[in-house]
Amino acid sequence: MKIAVCIKRVPDMGARFKIGADGASIDETGLKFDMSDFDEWAVEAALQLAEKNAGSTVTVISLGPDAVQETIRKALAMGADAGVQLKADGVPAGGLAVAEALAAELREGGYDLILFGRVAVDTAAGITGVMVAELLGLPCATALSKLEVAGGSATGERQIEGGTESLSFPLPAVCTIDQGLVTQARYPSLKGIMAAKKKPLAVKPAALGQAGVTIAKMELPAERAAGRIVGEGADAVPELVRLLQTEAKVL
Amino acid sequence: MANVLVIAEARGGALKKVALEATTAARTIADASGGQVHAVLFGAPGVGAEADKLGAVGADVVHVCEHAAFEQFDAESFAATAAAAAQAVSPKAILVGGTAFGQDLAPRIGAKLGAGVAADAIDVTMDGDAIAIRHPMATGKVIATLVAAGQLAIVTVRPGAIAVGTSAKAGTVQPLAPASDPAASRVKVTKLTTGGGKLDLAEAPVVVSGGRGLKAPENFKLVEELADAFGNAAVGATRAVTDDGWRPHSDQIGQTGRQVAPSLYVAVGISGAIQHVAGMRNSKTIVAINKDKDAPIFKVADYGIVGDVFEIVPKLTEAVRAARAQR
Amino acid sequence: MSGQNVAFLLVLLGALGFFSYNVQRMAGYLRVGLPEDRTNAPGRRTWNLLTIGFAQTKILRERGAGLSHAAVFWGFLVVTAGTVEMMIQGVWPSFGFDRLLARPLWQLFMLSQELFAVVILAAVSWLLWRRLVAPPKRLQGEEIHSTEAVIILCVIATLMITIVTTGAFEYVARPATHETHFGWFRPLATALGAMLGGMSASAAHVGRDLSFWTHALLVLGFLNFLPYGKHFHVFVSLPNVWLSDTSGPGVVGAMRPMDLEAETDTFGAVDVQHLTWKNLLDGYACTECGRCTAACPANITGKPLSPRKIITDTRDRLKEKAPLVMGIPDVDGSAERLRAAPGAQAVLDERLLDDWITEAELWACTSCRACVQECPVNIDQLDIINQLRRGLVLNESRFPEEVLPAFESLETNGSPWAFSPSDRAQWAEGLDIPTMAELQARGQRPEILFWVGCMGSFDDRAKRITVAFARILQAAGIDFAILGQEETCHGDPARRLGNEYLYQVLAKGAIETLDRYEVKTIVTFCPHCFHQMGNEFPQLGGNYEVIHHSTYIERLLAADLVPLRTEHGQRLTMAYHDSCYLGRYNDVYDAPRETLRRALPVVNLVEPTRTKSRGLCCGAGGGRMWMDEKEGKRVNLERTEELVATGAETIAVACPFCMTMMNDGIAKLEAPVTVLDISEVVASQLDPSASRQAQLAGD
Repeated sequence: MKIAVCIKRVPDMGARFKIGADGASIDETGLKFDMSDFDEWAVEAALQLAEKNAGSTVTVISLGPDAVQETIRKALAMGADAGVQLKADGVPAGGLAVAEALAAELREGGYDLILFGRVAVDTAAGITGVMVAELLGLPCATALSKLEVAGGSATGERQIEGGTESLSFPLPAVCTIDQGLVTQARYPSLKGIMAAKKKPLAVKPAALGQAGVTIAKMELPAERAAGRIVGEGADAVPELVRLLQTEAKVL
Repeated sequence: MANVLVIAEARGGALKKVALEATTAARTIADASGGQVHAVLFGAPGVGAEADKLGAVGADVVHVCEHAAFEQFDAESFAATAAAAAQAVSPKAILVGGTAFGQDLAPRIGAKLGAGVAADAIDVTMDGDAIAIRHPMATGKVIATLVAAGQLAIVTVRPGAIAVGTSAKAGTVQPLAPASDPAASRVKVTKLTTGGGKLDLAEAPVVVSGGRGLKAPENFKLVEELADAFGNAAVGATRAVTDDGWRPHSDQIGQTGRQVAPSLYVAVGISGAIQHVAGMRNSKTIVAINKDKDAPIFKVADYGIVGDVFEIVPKLTEAVRAARAQR
Repeated sequence: MSGQNVAFLLVLLGALGFFSYNVQRMAGYLRVGLPEDRTNAPGRRTWNLLTIGFAQTKILRERGAGLSHAAVFWGFLVVTAGTVEMMIQGVWPSFGFDRLLARPLWQLFMLSQELFAVVILAAVSWLLWRRLVAPPKRLQGEEIHSTEAVIILCVIATLMITIVTTGAFEYVARPATHETHFGWFRPLATALGAMLGGMSASAAHVGRDLSFWTHALLVLGFLNFLPYGKHFHVFVSLPNVWLSDTSGPGVVGAMRPMDLEAETDTFGAVDVQHLTWKNLLDGYACTECGRCTAACPANITGKPLSPRKIITDTRDRLKEKAPLVMGIPDVDGSAERLRAAPGAQAVLDERLLDDWITEAELWACTSCRACVQECPVNIDQLDIINQLRRGLVLNESRFPEEVLPAFESLETNGSPWAFSPSDRAQWAEGLDIPTMAELQARGQRPEILFWVGCMGSFDDRAKRITVAFARILQAAGIDFAILGQEETCHGDPARRLGNEYLYQVLAKGAIETLDRYEVKTIVTFCPHCFHQMGNEFPQLGGNYEVIHHSTYIERLLAADLVPLRTEHGQRLTMAYHDSCYLGRYNDVYDAPRETLRRALPVVNLVEPTRTKSRGLCCGAGGGRMWMDEKEGKRVNLERTEELVATGAETIAVACPFCMTMMNDGIAKLEAPVTVLDISEVVASQLDPSASRQAQLAGD
């Protein structure tokens, strides 16, 4: 099987974020970056499929500046065979521009399966993968927490609100991968890291499309107020519930 | 003059609440620019009966697309049909609920129409002649405002973020034929199993966790009852109690367990050691109940009650049930 | 030379030849392992040989068995001289040491033979009784070869008896020698010989020859049996002690350095060929005494780990695999032939990791070094465990899944705890403590750097230790600074867990920061930070004077620099729990106790049963702080129970990991005992009226 996985380099979500000087971006000083969690699971799913089907290859593609090469190398260290960087200064919003660039790269690849993470953890949008499928005219199964491939077709499962949908679709196809499909993305071993240094990583210019939407502004949400002890004993319960309803608005 | 198209989600013949929320948002935009709100409703024959609910919240026209195959979700046919409807309506924005349904459809429509998509919007407005969309990013730590200047914008709306309005319009029903044959759709839903699925810790909007302060495994009943009272809560535990076998290891929240960020986290009888806090500190609202006023958990909690969990938690369970019953 | 002499010569030569062949073979097997230089510090090595080897200091840590074994050992050193004489006499009957020594000396020599024969006989009798009737737990079970032990004890007993009987029969057979060769200096032979007086001379000759040959054959048989079992330690243990790196100052407990740039198929170890010849020699030296396993906190609490098994498995795996690799000495093509034999491929396909030593055993280790501390022949069990952990992690990314968040957090946040680096110095708010960066901007440099560590920066309970120690430093007017947000983990947790790659990335980063500020002296209250930066950083080029706060506070107290209250309140019973990385790793046992006594003169310090170098681990070391404990009894509970049983009202610790473990244990036991760090004890005794204190916000 020829499998492609599209991955994204994102900042570590545990950080304290600051808004950049232009008011429309995140200030990157001091931020640590890594592969988006869902993309890691997609890479892991691809590697597991490749292990089950002898002779398969896994190619990893990422769009962005040269820094994404580090992210691609991580996927190579996990066991992917080759990487492609679609070079661009940044990742435009709205999904369309990126999808066009990815589709252009994937179109002639002859891939049986193209995987994406369900969403990228920084934007939490989940647009690009489905758009790529549409642009390539391929079937697309989203948010899969189960995936089985046999012959030229596949079945999968995904959680929807209040239930589970079982899907079937032919290959080649695009799938977006959700939490639960794999138990954990494999940790790259030192052996893998050393081997990754020798694997091919092609750099090509990204043929970006038009961005339909742009980021006009970014701002930090209101500061979290300091916590307080509401009261003592069971008598404090009514006040707590009131606060949860009116202040925190979670009830 | 900006028309707005809404793709209204219905499941099992019943309209979903988020469809009403999306229509309300569409109404607001349309009113700001003197346009119309058109809704598209897919479903098995008979779903058209739901159309007047859409009218009641502001839809001028409801295009009803009924087909036996539409008992199940059909992304390809829905997307093709919605795109065709958009050609006719020429909307400035297309809105859909940010559910599995909407997240699957919106990008397809975007690709077909060459438009960008903004997802998980908490607010959609007209800013001049551009659609402006506000949505949280980076696990809620940043709010971004996207604009689609002069162009069509596809937007998925976060369920529960927009209050359903009451600005009623005609809601004229028009039949709409599927733009592509459902039989030709390649991704088929072969089965839909409803309910069942235990609420996953990482996705539940509310998490209620118990720690050693509960003294014995039987007392976890208190935590389960409180979670039950919330209706949409999952139950978590600290490492101390999972190591002791009171709860399965998959319930453990902490450095070596699950890491969660629900809207509400209730820590019952948990001291708040670094091990545990590292797994839940990103929760939006944290409530702590513990008998030790110096327990570290109170440093990280938004609201705390000091006292005996065996007295407080049953009272809280009652109060939460009552509060929710009023909704 | 009679026919008997010729026969004896042939037997002797044959036995010695066969023995030499086996020693050559076993030595050859060591070449399966990697090379290593163990010739440095010859003075220290010789000291170890004299103390641990000849003076049997480690064996004597256990009274009864220790004394018995020391008796046998010393006895053998003496009696072997007599054996040599006997061997020569077998070929040359008229030989005797009386030809070489002045008479009084020779008499003393002969007395020593019988004396020590009795001592040995008594010792082995006791040891035999113990093995057969009342064996301690560590001498039971499938892991060891008790039958071999019993047989050898019987052999030794017989050898000692035959020393006397040979002499006794000689007495009867050669009355002419009574004047010269018997008397007070051979009491047993003389007395027994007199008792046998009724025997005919020819019978006595036969008796003597039988006794002599029995003795000689048993000696030569025993000699040749040695290479096949655990008694090989008789020859290997003294060289093993000389060659070991486990005793002595400075690099004690420093993990083996690793060159990650080296061209290699395998990082760390997965089989015997990845261990060094010294690791393999440890296998030969093992006596299977089990003191290591008896002291192992994991084993005590029911985990699958047995340090003894780690060593015997290494030994047995080597013996199984080495012939297939090395062949038979001086026999060309033997290796290929052996490899072609049925079953040989299966042996080659196996490996030490997984097929002999399992993951569960390796991850159960808390790296407390109790095993290394107890081993009487200075085996380093921990070295093999660490190399196998590296094998698991660096080649196969295999480690307990709950460790993954710690690795990821170390990579992203520079700390094994998932806290933002910007939160690091929050504890210092309002305390007026300068950072290195602030001082550097002013062109200044402090005398010491207070390295806080990740526990002290992020854990709520440990932060109180940080503040307490900072207050002490301020009260004493010490010129210090912290790194603040520039402090990152030095990578020790990653290293203990086998992730040498992640460790080196982090350690190099920390060293870079320290060097950028030209730091010379570091004080820290975490023994893991202390050990890592003081003992292991030099491997990567980081050389600093690192002092643990217990030592530092004691110095301050001894120099009267800390203003203490004069009234001391009530007598408090306190038990101090020795931290492994402070105690066994770095020999710091007294400073924390002294600190407590000086700060609280009325303190009643009580010691738990297992204390100081025998102290039981709290269970958090070796990266176990980040692992779940799924089997057996919790180690921290075992230790807390012991400490609570002393009757102490307070447990004093000098390590934030121990603090966490003890607190957890106390909560579980619901015991009315407090846990305090020694700095908190001292800080509580600070004189509030002292002028240096005046600026600090009161507590």
